[in-house]
Amino acid sequence: MKKLNRRNFIKGSLAGGLAAAATGKATKADAAGGTFGGYPDSMGVLVDMTKCIGCRTCEAACNVEQGLPEPDIPFDDYSFFDQHGHGGEKPRTTEKAYTVVNRYEVEGRESPFFRKVQCNHCQEPGCLTSCFVNAYTKTPEGAVIYNPKVCVGCRTCMIACPFYIPAYSFSSAINPIIKKCIMCYDTRLKFGRPPACVEACPQGVMTFGKRKDLVAQAHTKIEESGGKYIDHVYGEKEVGGTSWMYISDVPFEEIGFNMHVGNAPIISYVKDFLAMVPMVLIIWPALFTGFHLLATRKAKTDESNKA
Amino acid sequence: MKKLAQEGYEPIDTLIKPNTNNPWTVKEKLLLGLSPQDYMKQLLRNPFNWFLAVVYAVGIPLLLGRFFFGLGWATHGSYDYPWGLFLGWGLFVMVPLSASGFMLGTTVELFGRKDFKPIERLGLLNGLLGYFFAVVFLEVDLGQPWRLVYPMFVSLGPAAVLFLVAWHVATYLTVQIAELVPATSELMGWVKPKKFVKSIVLGLTVAGIILSTLHQGALGSLFTYAPHKLHPLWISTAFQWILFFCSSIFGGLSMLIVVSALTKWFMSWRCDDNFLKNLDRITIGLGKGCSMALITYLVLKITAIAHDNEWSYLLDGWGMWFFFEMIVGTLIPLAFFTMAIRTDRAGLARFAAMFAVFGIALNRMNTVLITYNWEMYQDIPHWREFCIAIMVYFTYIVVYRAVLYRIPIVYTWRGERK
Amino acid sequence: MGFKKGKIIGLAAILAMAVPLSLPMTVGGQVLELNRLSSLYEGVSFDHDMHIEATSENCTTCHHHTAGTPPEDPNCIPCHMNSGEAESPLCSDCHAAEPFSAANLEKSYNTPRLHHKAKPGLKAVYHLNCLTCHKEVGAPDGCVDCHAMTDKGEKFYRTGKYAPAPGKASGHH
Repeated sequence: MKKLNRRNFIKGSLAGGLAAAATGKATKADAAGGTFGGYPDSMGVLVDMTKCIGCRTCEAACNVEQGLPEPDIPFDDYSFFDQHGHGGEKPRTTEKAYTVVNRYEVEGRESPFFRKVQCNHCQEPGCLTSCFVNAYTKTPEGAVIYNPKVCVGCRTCMIACPFYIPAYSFSSAINPIIKKCIMCYDTRLKFGRPPACVEACPQGVMTFGKRKDLVAQAHTKIEESGGKYIDHVYGEKEVGGTSWMYISDVPFEEIGFNMHVGNAPIISYVKDFLAMVPMVLIIWPALFTGFHLLATRKAKTDESNKA
Repeated sequence: MKKLAQEGYEPIDTLIKPNTNNPWTVKEKLLLGLSPQDYMKQLLRNPFNWFLAVVYAVGIPLLLGRFFFGLGWATHGSYDYPWGLFLGWGLFVMVPLSASGFMLGTTVELFGRKDFKPIERLGLLNGLLGYFFAVVFLEVDLGQPWRLVYPMFVSLGPAAVLFLVAWHVATYLTVQIAELVPATSELMGWVKPKKFVKSIVLGLTVAGIILSTLHQGALGSLFTYAPHKLHPLWISTAFQWILFFCSSIFGGLSMLIVVSALTKWFMSWRCDDNFLKNLDRITIGLGKGCSMALITYLVLKITAIAHDNEWSYLLDGWGMWFFFEMIVGTLIPLAFFTMAIRTDRAGLARFAAMFAVFGIALNRMNTVLITYNWEMYQDIPHWREFCIAIMVYFTYIVVYRAVLYRIPIVYTWRGERK
Repeated sequence: MGFKKGKIIGLAAILAMAVPLSLPMTVGGQVLELNRLSSLYEGVSFDHDMHIEATSENCTTCHHHTAGTPPEDPNCIPCHMNSGEAESPLCSDCHAAEPFSAANLEKSYNTPRLHHKAKPGLKAVYHLNCLTCHKEVGAPDGCVDCHAMTDKGEKFYRTGKYAPAPGKASGHH
């Protein structure tokens, strides 16, 4: 599997760990950081949220496809929307559910608004950037997948994900690891097929296709709708772009979307520190040995004077 | 032990038993030269040990529960707050409070300030134990210890900040163990290890500075992965690493001042004159270091706010909380340290150090837990999480005390083998 | 969803009586079995005559322009104003049962100026067409109001006899 080029750059440069010769490469790598922009032919999903009716079929499809544990309540039980997790939050992705549907009561709208939540499969994923065992991979097909065999369970990816997606299997005592949506990579995407949720949706809420086509489609749709849709494709630019994108006729901030994530990928906030690392490794030894020589010169002079 | 000391007990500080030709056995060294009965007696006499018994009676079953039923049993298992007390307190607070190791190593070995020699070993030990227990906390949090080596050897993610933390904490632990080899060698009567470490001490010290600069900074930089989740006053992507590094300097030194004061108050029988008589002078000296780091930190913090233009955030409740942290954790210790230095009052410096330690702890807890998800909701950790964290922390204190009792840290070994 | 069964029958009866004999019907019976996609749910018994009446004989309501009536969507008018009746007005003739099949994706990649690229699949258009309208006019809009869940469906949705044991709906403590 091919990894992000930038990652290979940095890997090559830092794998040597303390090797001084690494600076040149690291600088190049950091210059590349945040400008990757995704694989050219990667796939994506466009979510037309106006169509979602909250039937939870996508959740059921995900459960079956991914072989997830039995849910707490049936997938056709709509009391699910009234459940509240920690701090009164709406249901979110968990170790048992890689996608969930949230219901929003929007002012001035007769029927409730539904929002499907799952991994957005960032072009430059924060989870991938933060993983110190290199468990994550952004595949050329667009999915952000992970290797559960090397996950240590540090949960930094949960910190780094701007969309609060990865979930830790808190219930496992023996082998707790991170779990999340992989866009059905192993069973479907790899073979060119759409994720199970996309296929199962009775309303055609989700369109599967090449990401760049979907971006164009989204804008056409917004344009042709004559002002029905909000003129924003969420995910086109957010945190460097995501493979899953959303259009809506309700302002995104009213339906739980984080509008403060910005357009810069997560790596761009971290790379300054990463660039500083080789500098410290290279400069400190000479600098502090120099300090040592300066600080102890008096003692040395005294010694030689005595001699 | 105080009572024994009054009765004429003399702690071990030589290889050979006084008035004989027989060396102390390892068992005798471990029992502080007391008979097993006397050792038990002094254990039971100490009220602190009874308190410990209660802590362990509650904590051990809970810790076992955590490993049998998973982290979700011991904590809220929150997906929104992936890091709780075990990492928030155990890693993010313990590590800066243990920066004394590299600070004292640098001061004495590198800058040749031999006047700080009496406290160097305590500084190194404070560093070693702090880091060691940070790793213990990490293990309590992560479980599956067999995977702890994965980032080192199995699957490497060198572009990740945590990769640096893992490698640096691991190597730095090794460095600190090496730095304390001389003290252990004296107790055990080894000759070669001590000589060897002495020959590479400069290299170890420089390695210590490099590793500390980077991992103290890296702990801060971990939060640059979540610039949108932390309250802006606690995250500055450009300054985060230097803020964490700079604050770890006064954090580590202040912790050393506090620990040395506790040692002096509760363990004077074990301290020698070299330690006790120099402590006040050294405390003031450390205070000078603290005050410089504090003022630098203060200015950096203000600069960071200016850099991101976050002045407007100072006005609401979060702003007040920020002022509280800055006043209690930075300004008050800065003022007290300054006064202590000017009037040469070690007691006041100790008081200042307590504020500084509290300030660091508050800052780290604010970063990891309190202002994290500030736009979402507040998560108060589960009571089991509190109990386990307290128990592990007291284990740190117990080990700390046990080491100070035995290894020549605050006393000088006499009759060393050459 | 709150719709009384008696009411449906009553409404259907009224509509049935009102059906004139001169409707431009090209399909055989009054009730169509829409069961091409049935899997999790059984097919839908679709009363075509009733819907002709319900839409006041405006075929465009469901069939865009394919039944011969001019399109109403301003985006369709420029091309399809005079398109006339299509060879077949069946949904399934234009809307693929598997919109994201390899062949369909391939076609969309290799035909740069392909029109109706974002055309929804057959399952989607059934629901979008029927359900959207049902919701608007207050007709039944629950899943099982139109089609009964099959055993396979119950297994899929973990409901009915496959429902999780009650009382463990805890999530967190």
